Amino acid sequence: MSDAEGIGVRVVFDGALAFGATNLVSKESVTDLVTRLVKNAKHASEGLKDKVKLSREQSYTADWGVDEKKKLEDVQAEFLISFLKEIDKSIPSSVSEVTFPNRNLITFYAIDEKHYENSDGSKLRGRVPRVGYLCLLTGFYDGKPSTVSVPPGYSGLGGTGGWEVMDALNLTNYVPLQLQEVTNGIRASARPPTDENISVILGPAVAGLTSHESCGHPGEADRILGREGAQAGESFLKRDKLGMQIGSEEAYVSDDPTIPNSMGFYLYDDEGVKAGKRRLITSGKFTEFLQNRQTAEVFGVKSNGSSRAVQFDREPIIRMANTFIEPGDWVFEEMLKETKSGIYIKSFMEWNIDDKRLNQRYVGLEAYRIEDGELKEAVKNPVLEITTPKYWGSIDARGGDLAFTCGTCGKGDPMQGAPVFIGAPHIRLSDVRVGARS
Amino acid sequence: MIEKVRQEQVAQLALDQAKKLGCEDVSVVCAFSNENQVRFANNSITLVNNVRDITLDVYLSLSKKRIIGSSYNPTEKGIIRFIESLAKSCRALPESKDYVSLPQGPFSYSPHHANYDSEVEDASFVEYAKEAMSSALSSGANRASGSINSEVTNLFILTSGGATSSDRVSQILLNIRAFADDNSSGHGLSCSSYLSDFHPSEAGSRAGIYAKRALNSALISEGEYKVIFTPTVIANILPIASSASAFTIESGNSFLSERLGQKVAVDKLNVEDRGVFEHGLGGRIFDDEGLPTRTNRIINAGVFETMLHNSTTAKKFGKGSSTGNAGIIAPRSTTVVFSAGDSSLEEIVKETGEGLLITNNWYTRYQNIRTGDYSTVPRDAAFRIRNGEVKEPVSGFRLSDSVPRQLSNIELISREREWIKWWEVSTPTLAPTMMIKGVRVTRAVGS
Repeated sequence: MSDAEGIGVRVVFDGALAFGATNLVSKESVTDLVTRLVKNAKHASEGLKDKVKLSREQSYTADWGVDEKKKLEDVQAEFLISFLKEIDKSIPSSVSEVTFPNRNLITFYAIDEKHYENSDGSKLRGRVPRVGYLCLLTGFYDGKPSTVSVPPGYSGLGGTGGWEVMDALNLTNYVPLQLQEVTNGIRASARPPTDENISVILGPAVAGLTSHESCGHPGEADRILGREGAQAGESFLKRDKLGMQIGSEEAYVSDDPTIPNSMGFYLYDDEGVKAGKRRLITSGKFTEFLQNRQTAEVFGVKSNGSSRAVQFDREPIIRMANTFIEPGDWVFEEMLKETKSGIYIKSFMEWNIDDKRLNQRYVGLEAYRIEDGELKEAVKNPVLEITTPKYWGSIDARGGDLAFTCGTCGKGDPMQGAPVFIGAPHIRLSDVRVGARS
Repeated sequence: MIEKVRQEQVAQLALDQAKKLGCEDVSVVCAFSNENQVRFANNSITLVNNVRDITLDVYLSLSKKRIIGSSYNPTEKGIIRFIESLAKSCRALPESKDYVSLPQGPFSYSPHHANYDSEVEDASFVEYAKEAMSSALSSGANRASGSINSEVTNLFILTSGGATSSDRVSQILLNIRAFADDNSSGHGLSCSSYLSDFHPSEAGSRAGIYAKRALNSALISEGEYKVIFTPTVIANILPIASSASAFTIESGNSFLSERLGQKVAVDKLNVEDRGVFEHGLGGRIFDDEGLPTRTNRIINAGVFETMLHNSTTAKKFGKGSSTGNAGIIAPRSTTVVFSAGDSSLEEIVKETGEGLLITNNWYTRYQNIRTGDYSTVPRDAAFRIRNGEVKEPVSGFRLSDSVPRQLSNIELISREREWIKWWEVSTPTLAPTMMIKGVRVTRAVGS
């Protein structure tokens, strides 16, 4: 249980930016805070090379938020425990000869209330209730342990709203069904085909993560300008790369904070800018970067409302909200039927990417070989290790079955873990090489 | 000091309120922190940041029911509301099968303020940031980015077991990345509790030199290599202290599960958990149950010797007493110390013969936490070692291995060690350079 309340203030003085915060909320301490900030900014402005200017934006006065049918404030600790116990009870003692003696289940809720004002005259009040679930298990098959999550990839489920969001997930059905699928990956022993280029169908969870890691992050304008260089890294994209062809005509990626009940939902960002959908890749071209007011001024555009702080004592910076590959018109069965030779990576666990977002890797958990349009044996831990242009350039089919999972996006210094949705339909890559985890 | 008085008042109010509501066990850790930060990018200051917080971490038990909570709301009204809410939630919980009452004090603690330097409070870190950038540029880089974080934390603990103490810790953390072009970068750290141990110029210079040497890097083939890892990388890829926590082990998420008393690494590996390493970095003299922290030998001559416990996990695992590592739920280390080896850095390079040098890494992720199977991405400068010398820069690859396998493949450990704490290493760690054989290297194929 955590209770946080405080005030964060950002000032610009002669091109120098200062941020400060305190949870000692009194007239005296806030006056002291602002005095310190202005002094800090004045000091930093001496001889400053790159002066900060913020883009001119419309000011707003609004109350916004997310409705709760079942109010989170009414959810008691006892209920949360029984909720998790019910899910735990739904997990069979053995699934296809795989036992799960170690089961870690987590559920949480948070209510984020924010009062925002700026010197342009914006006055905004936002209220976002948020709920979620995570589960990490260690399964044993033939005496060997495997750590898996449900859903896989260390991701979670949930969203914004009241407890009805959790009710709709029907986790006592979902978790055992998912475990049945996950065990196919745990039990697999066949080596994936690694000797030739093949087609790879990716499940929504895997494909969704690629949109976050190798499109959303490199398209953050603060990275492109080098501001996050020492921590979260920079980007292979440069200021003049808007319009650059990165992928095939089937590559479409968007980020949309306004998706109702999504984990990354908001209507106004933490610089008072109204949020809307951002089309990041359109028909294989980068068509929009994520901007705040500082980067928008540099790029000569308007902010697209991407500035978020995870708590009052953190600086607002550019963040993704709900990033996803746009759905297409294929159905999974057709995609499979028209694949002569390949693999289907339905879920994953391990992944990473370099700090310019050019070299990414996803290691399959549940995966199958495809031959003549049919799923064959399960294969063990296929590795998709691929450059970003090759990845986006290889998409030749997108399904219509867009699905989301929840994640926590890490960025900032100090680190700010931001709640996000990650989504995609099934997609197919053509003519790529996979590896095998030794 | 006004904040100290206020901390004690806040802690006492929380404890009194909890006792009034019938709680048997109460532990309150109140922290007043003053964090200053200077960030820079592209040779220019991008942000100055100051955050002052009082936070309260509270543990309560009621009829063997247990709960923990944190509050960032230190007003009288806020504390009373928070404790009432916590106690209400606690009443609704089932009894804990593993309940143990808090350790009974009073205890004696030492050393007080071993890692506190009053000069940190008034230092101008904008000037230090400029010094680090200037040093990077004069060493061969054409731009530098990074941050200096300085923090002074006053801690105060009060428990229903009669433990009460305070401690004060300062930390200065510089993380600098220098670039010679878009594809060649170097990294430098300077992490200390004392201003006299803080060396921004050296960190900047190291980053700049690495950046320049990393120009025109080549791709390498997949395969197994002898790899020299700097302290920065070792502190990240060998997560020994967190894996030795009884909570991690009980959860099934540790490669050290069921390995207590067994050989898990080469003979020459020794790793300790230290409450406070005097004149080191950070640390605490008491844990969250009020027990004095101490030195625990986690790995002794390659054997997993000590699991880290709080009172509850100690009981659960049939051990006599806590190791002074509470976290009420999850035991944790506050300082990790790898013992020094017997090789100089020059000897390590020479004895490696053919291999790689990796200076930094990021994005370590596990395919299987229980077995320690992971991959990580080298970041910044990396080099081929040929004929016992550091040669051409390399890039575009990944390490895909397992922690237990690497612990058994450590060949050389340096005499020199460095304090590490940054984005990828959250617990202060004193780490040496190591050479590990047979490290698996992968890269993007067919693209």
